[in-house]
Amino acid sequence: MKQRESDEVSRRHFLRATAGLALFSTSSCERVEDWLGLGPKEGPVVPPSGEGIDLISHVLNRTTFGPTPLEYARVKGLADTEEDAVAAFLDEQLNPDELEDKRAQRAVRRFEAIHAPLAEMYEYKEAFLLEQLTRATLVRATRSKRQLFEIMAHFWSDHLNIDVSKKECRWLKAADDREVVRKHALGKFSDLVRASALSPAMLWYLDGRENRMRDSSEKPNENYARELLELHTLGVGGGYTQKDVMEVARCFSGWTVRDKGRFYKGRVEFHSEAHDDGSKVVLGHEIASGGGEKDLDDVLEIVCEHPSTARHLAEKLCIRFLADEPSKASIDATAKVFSESGGDLCKTLRSVFETDEFLNGARGQKLKRPFEFIVSALRGTRAKVSSEMDLVDYLIRMGHAPFQYPTPDGYPDVASPWTGTLLWRWHFAIALSRNDVSKEIKINQDELIEKAGGVAGLAASLLGRIPSKEELAAMERTGESLALLLASPGFQWR
Amino acid sequence: MAMKGTGIISGNGDQQRTLVVVFLRGGADGLTLVPPVGNSEYYRVRPTLGVPEGDILKLGDANCGLNPAFSALYDIYKDGCLTVVPAVGSNDDTRSHFYAQDLMEHGGPVAGGWLGRFLRYRDGVPPSALSAIALGKAMPEVLRGAPAATVMESMDTFSLGSQSGPTDRLKEELGMLYGKDESILGPAARDTLQALERVEKLRREDLPPMNGAEYGDNSFSNGLRQAARLIRARVGLEAVSLDLEGWDSHFAQETLITPLMTRLSDGLAAFHRDLGKLMKKVTVVVMTEFGRRVAENSSFGTDHGRGGTMLVMGGTERGNVFGEMPELETGILVGPGDVPVKTDYREVLKPILTQHGAGGSMAEIFPVG
Repeated sequence: MKQRESDEVSRRHFLRATAGLALFSTSSCERVEDWLGLGPKEGPVVPPSGEGIDLISHVLNRTTFGPTPLEYARVKGLADTEEDAVAAFLDEQLNPDELEDKRAQRAVRRFEAIHAPLAEMYEYKEAFLLEQLTRATLVRATRSKRQLFEIMAHFWSDHLNIDVSKKECRWLKAADDREVVRKHALGKFSDLVRASALSPAMLWYLDGRENRMRDSSEKPNENYARELLELHTLGVGGGYTQKDVMEVARCFSGWTVRDKGRFYKGRVEFHSEAHDDGSKVVLGHEIASGGGEKDLDDVLEIVCEHPSTARHLAEKLCIRFLADEPSKASIDATAKVFSESGGDLCKTLRSVFETDEFLNGARGQKLKRPFEFIVSALRGTRAKVSSEMDLVDYLIRMGHAPFQYPTPDGYPDVASPWTGTLLWRWHFAIALSRNDVSKEIKINQDELIEKAGGVAGLAASLLGRIPSKEELAAMERTGESLALLLASPGFQWR
Repeated sequence: MAMKGTGIISGNGDQQRTLVVVFLRGGADGLTLVPPVGNSEYYRVRPTLGVPEGDILKLGDANCGLNPAFSALYDIYKDGCLTVVPAVGSNDDTRSHFYAQDLMEHGGPVAGGWLGRFLRYRDGVPPSALSAIALGKAMPEVLRGAPAATVMESMDTFSLGSQSGPTDRLKEELGMLYGKDESILGPAARDTLQALERVEKLRREDLPPMNGAEYGDNSFSNGLRQAARLIRARVGLEAVSLDLEGWDSHFAQETLITPLMTRLSDGLAAFHRDLGKLMKKVTVVVMTEFGRRVAENSSFGTDHGRGGTMLVMGGTERGNVFGEMPELETGILVGPGDVPVKTDYREVLKPILTQHGAGGSMAEIFPVG
């Protein structure tokens, strides 16, 4: 049984890989070489040369888990001007399915637990599942070419936060990651929210499974309804009332998830006898009685199309990509596209990237969260990572282990809550540069410096600009340029 | 470098209080730790294991007392620094170690640990890198979700790059670069360097405990000793978690847990003496996942039960008994004959967390009930 399933998994991957190959044969030779693992001819890479962060580095900082020397050079080569080059890069990133990503996919395939069908997830030890999911997340962030997609997967993991430590989420989150977050990360917002509403893990995490009204003596469980309005869609102050929360909870009553039976555990079901089938009013919209399971779709349509939702999502996306306190103009422009496109996430993101604030605003002003810091250091140093678990220790110390945020609001995306993490950032910077993190994580510092044409070049490729006089002098005095760079203020920001 | 060990750490707070959570894993027998006083039913169902009335250390006129193995703690009680809570526990009725520990460490059927959520949502400045430590080998559930938490077996964990040579020059240059940094990282870096300096001073000097305190040679006492050193060094330590294991006494209970009680009592007493006046800012909470069956079993042990014991030491707690020992008659016992839970463990924790700065965040710390 188990064996057959894993065969199927690899067959699926094989099909996907061959599909990639077919698509691939029509694109340029350079990419064929890259796909075959030969890579572009690796000579010295010309690092950024501006005194401030250049546009390409800026875009890579904000839309990826950090530039690599090769990726910087590749993007630069996409067009004659920086503007055209980043436009071409973002076009690529916004069409992730067309980006060949075989190496990252192959690297993730070995985590077989996260590919298992829902019912089989329960056969794994929960710690093992979490380990596999966490490692896969680190591998994808570090190695996937679909970087913007991975960034958005992170964004939605926070937006629709589920902490694995609550009840059966420890088995079901891996399926949520696959079927909700990753499936719709760059799709349509309403599809994402619907998938989340009916995700077994979410039904456990926010107690939707216990929301039943078999008779008038039972009160609906409001937990999911409240977070749907407050966090997932309209946002605090989005114009809903306590009455709306209760009405939404009534609409969702009867949806539950099986917690028994070997083959049915984790299955989402609608129990009409536990559904309050009376008429409801949600945010001023009347929902007629007798709607049954359709009530859920009515509610989701109302909340996803609500103008407060566009604004809330626009603000969160602007905080992610632009600034801790983005301008009203950027939020307005983004919200407008979100509304007009019916929550098309690619179009909405494109509008974020077209704002003046993104293109011409302050650069290097978003603090990397610990996960982003670690992954950007691995990418920038071209670290060879054969086991990710030692990285998880660092993430736990810095309070940023994936899927382990306790409350539904997800890890904060602004700087201030993260200022207490410097000690472990420095610790990691020193350990990585001295090849002391673990036997499974290695860098080649001499080669990095040589390829960058010296320590100043290495600094430029990590900072997205040439180092200041102070930075250069400090690097020289320590004799440990890389450790200092990774630990320095300049590398903490994106 | 401008950083010296004498300044005030602004961000992570020289004023900070420290909460130490000691978890007695395995379900410690409340009726042995804190035996009832003047209760004939107790001796009827505990013919071998009942603590003789004359040996019980009396707590004023309370209907329960302390096991004689807690003589060192008894002195602390008499000084007004120990609170004893009988018949306390959670609403878990699975009597499973795993579920009961999980529930109690999470603070309800919720995600993350209550101590982790406390650190994340309490009022005031963000926690520092050294705000929470788990003494041992693994991160306990109670600290899950903390904004910063470190599993520590020795002081070396905290120093920069200790395995591979010195980092003094790096620290100096980082101090210089961050010193010129005008972002919020500037002050954070200053605090971090200062905390590091203090930890390294501790490592270098390895001073003996203060006030004549003597710690036993066991990992529990050693953990408390490390915690006391970090508290004294003012590195911004807010929460410490450590375990004392081995309380699952299904057979030969007396032989099994008497040395553990002595270890617990002597360790806490040494910690109390070591910290001296600093104990005003330190609270130690001792808890266990459940108490044990009232009646002893045929192998001179006891089985999993419900109501257990908590001890609270230090802070501004006054020495007293919180709640009372219920009668042990059949009609009062729950399930297969267990002490009922008269006090929810969260009711003991809430005022302590308030004292430690929880502010308006109690709804996040204990979201249910």
